Amino acid sequence: MSTIDQATVTRLKEAVAAHGDRALLSTTQPHADTLRFAIEKTAMRSVVVELVNNFQARFLISVGTDKRPVTGDFAILHLFSLDREHLYVLLESPVSEKDPRIESITEVIPGANWAEREFRDAIGVHPDGHPDPRRLLLADDWPEGVFPLRKDFPYNYQPPRAENVRPQMLKPPAGASVMPIGPFFPVLEEPAYWRMFVEGETVVGCDTRIFYNHRGIEKLGDSVLTYNEIPYLAERICGICGFIHSTCYCQAVEKAAGIEVPRRARYIRTIMLELERIHSHLLWLGIAGHIIGFETVLMQTWRIREPVMWLCEEISGNRKTYGMNTVGGLRRDLPNQIKPKLFETLAEVEKETIAVRNAIVGDTTLQARTKGVGVLTKEWAKKICVVGPPARASGVAIDARIDHPYAAYDEVPPRIATQEAGDTWARVLVRVAELLESIRLVREALSAMPPGPICAEIKEEIPPGRVGVSVVEAPRGEAVHFVLTGGDNRPYRWRVRAPTYPNLQAMPAMVAGANIADVPITLGSLDPCFSCTERLETIDRRTSEVRVYSHAELLEMSRSRARNGGIR
Amino acid sequence: MTAWLIKIFLLCLLNAAAALFLSPLFEGIMRKLRAALHSRIGPPITQPYWDLLKLLGKEDLGSTGGVVYAGMPAITLGSVLLLAALVPMGAAAPLAFAGDLIVVLYVATMSSVLIMLVGFASASPYASIGSSREMMMLLSVEPILAIALSAGAFKAKTLALGGIVNWQVQNGPSISMAIGGVAFFLALQAVAGKLPFDIAEADQEIMGGSLVEQSGPRLALLRWAMWAKQLVFAFLLVEVFFPWPHFGTYLVDLVATTVKVLVVLVLVSVIDVVNPRLRIDQAMGYYMRVGVSSLAALAFAMIGK
Repeated sequence: MSTIDQATVTRLKEAVAAHGDRALLSTTQPHADTLRFAIEKTAMRSVVVELVNNFQARFLISVGTDKRPVTGDFAILHLFSLDREHLYVLLESPVSEKDPRIESITEVIPGANWAEREFRDAIGVHPDGHPDPRRLLLADDWPEGVFPLRKDFPYNYQPPRAENVRPQMLKPPAGASVMPIGPFFPVLEEPAYWRMFVEGETVVGCDTRIFYNHRGIEKLGDSVLTYNEIPYLAERICGICGFIHSTCYCQAVEKAAGIEVPRRARYIRTIMLELERIHSHLLWLGIAGHIIGFETVLMQTWRIREPVMWLCEEISGNRKTYGMNTVGGLRRDLPNQIKPKLFETLAEVEKETIAVRNAIVGDTTLQARTKGVGVLTKEWAKKICVVGPPARASGVAIDARIDHPYAAYDEVPPRIATQEAGDTWARVLVRVAELLESIRLVREALSAMPPGPICAEIKEEIPPGRVGVSVVEAPRGEAVHFVLTGGDNRPYRWRVRAPTYPNLQAMPAMVAGANIADVPITLGSLDPCFSCTERLETIDRRTSEVRVYSHAELLEMSRSRARNGGIR
Repeated sequence: MTAWLIKIFLLCLLNAAAALFLSPLFEGIMRKLRAALHSRIGPPITQPYWDLLKLLGKEDLGSTGGVVYAGMPAITLGSVLLLAALVPMGAAAPLAFAGDLIVVLYVATMSSVLIMLVGFASASPYASIGSSREMMMLLSVEPILAIALSAGAFKAKTLALGGIVNWQVQNGPSISMAIGGVAFFLALQAVAGKLPFDIAEADQEIMGGSLVEQSGPRLALLRWAMWAKQLVFAFLLVEVFFPWPHFGTYLVDLVATTVKVLVVLVLVSVIDVVNPRLRIDQAMGYYMRVGVSSLAALAFAMIGK
């Protein structure tokens, strides 16, 4: 583990105490790298300002928990990372049921926008002074005043359907017309609705409505499943980086329960994580090519990617969704006889990736479409708390593998690639460099992998009330899992933050003033993963319509709308 | 007189039939080539024929009404077939007496304008963006075609296409016509709607542009028109700018010309495969430069090179 600077810890404690004064309720250190401050909600905002200004704390996520059965109050928790100091800081405030409001911190940290709206939707604690308090994750026909993550809300409750509901969308500025992208659109693999406000071919603003695919994953985690069942669900959060989520969840529980994972298991986790990065980045490169019409890149990178999938299948039995992780280690060993084949495939993938890289780097047309396109400045990247390749391409050198080493990354550290330009081309370069670096990491980890057990023996039950925070650097950026342990052999609260969650919030800053033709590749350059981002509740906004109108009627409606002047 | 009319009519039919029935085959070959460069097996070469059959049998959703919308696909295909009769395809153009270079240029523009109109008529935001892009591309490419062909007219001292071809055959290659040919070839990429210039369709950005609201038989006719158009333009390029070797025997010349057309379309395909799509402003800038450079063809023609 990386060393924690005790002086910083002391300084932090003093600073929070000074700001909190009588508002500081308690200070605990649930784990060597995790500091938890319980403060009165009135002091929350000023402590956040202090953390951001004087400690360069990076906002990760907010967690709203219904602790009424335990303490009688709701709890709002803001989670921060002090990257250089390898520390997590948790600021927690009790919020009384009688006055369910807390001061918003979005004015201080624009990146907290969605997180605050999410706890408002899920728990019912209102962020006071939030600049854009529209509904975020609940369906548009979800009734007011029903909060799905409250403990008295059954996981299988279905609210009555409402008719004629529409998302609350912003009005376009005067003189601009709307070009819709989505909810279904060729370059979006999953539903998301973007409204581009355009003047001619220039984008002057945009609005978004996502969360069409909530699956109630967090609710299932704290009401139905048990500790050892959740990894399989966590793995299904994402269709690409499933292993990342199951690892991240397991690490959070292991930290909360103080379980030491055997060294071999940590190495195998590293190898699988990096294999996932390799195939994910190859997949992304292909999709990016597809978005700008460069199908050759798509076809070739996916061909190169395929042997990696076969390897994963040979190791785990599945191309995807390996089912290998469990709390305390792994369920399945990486057989030593597969090593030569791994080395061989990696060599082939590396050779072909370098060939693709050289072809891309020399392609002037490609550069014409990506250089200076979708620029995310370092300032905005920090404000929105962007993570992963988009952050590194904007000169923000953060990487969970370095900042909060996990698995075996303290023994096989990665070299991280950064660029300063912040445009789509920079993001391409960062990802290609990471791809090659991942191949090197897998090789090193394979060579250094020690023999031994792959799973820790867990003798005692995991005690309730413990906290575990874990991050994993996914191909798209850093995934965060927060676990608060509970009774019944399951978490009291399990919070997931996928990397796309902060990254998507950077879209408005990236497309302002862009050409329409550049919007798809700008969005694509974030490598958005909607299934990751949308985990919470299930209601299909469209089903109520389909129930009312027959297929023919709907068809006729849409056509008559087109005949009468279309979408204006 | 009647016999002459019948002969012209039959020749016109022949050209139209060639444009109609050969163009899917060439499209099929281009697809196969694309697939090979993608490391794919690709569809059979006859796939475009099946595509047309399938589309012709599908429901016409008729999402938009209006005269323009209703009649447009047939007129578009018709305009391309008329162009085929005006262009020499292995032999003298059957309708050569009816119009010179200027008519050819007008008829060649018709299909693009019609597709643009149907886009505007269908009231979809994607279609109208596609149509405005189509217009910008047309305005960028049309001058290049005109300049390149005028170089020929200048040299042969005639506006008749047949006259230019004959002059070319007799006088052999020249600098001006070589430059004109290259410029025409570069413009062909946009005329055929191939990458990096398929900006007006741009599936990933505007979902097919002007054609987004088209379906069934309408879409079949429009697709057919586009394939026929790329074939006829390839013939025009080959006949006017690279007519050699000329054997003087009809059948041999026909085969030679067809082979040359195939080479041209293969080149178009390869360029299509190795390029991503440009933005409309970048494409216009590119054709602006091509247009200005192609003026050199006229300059050389004036000094007799």
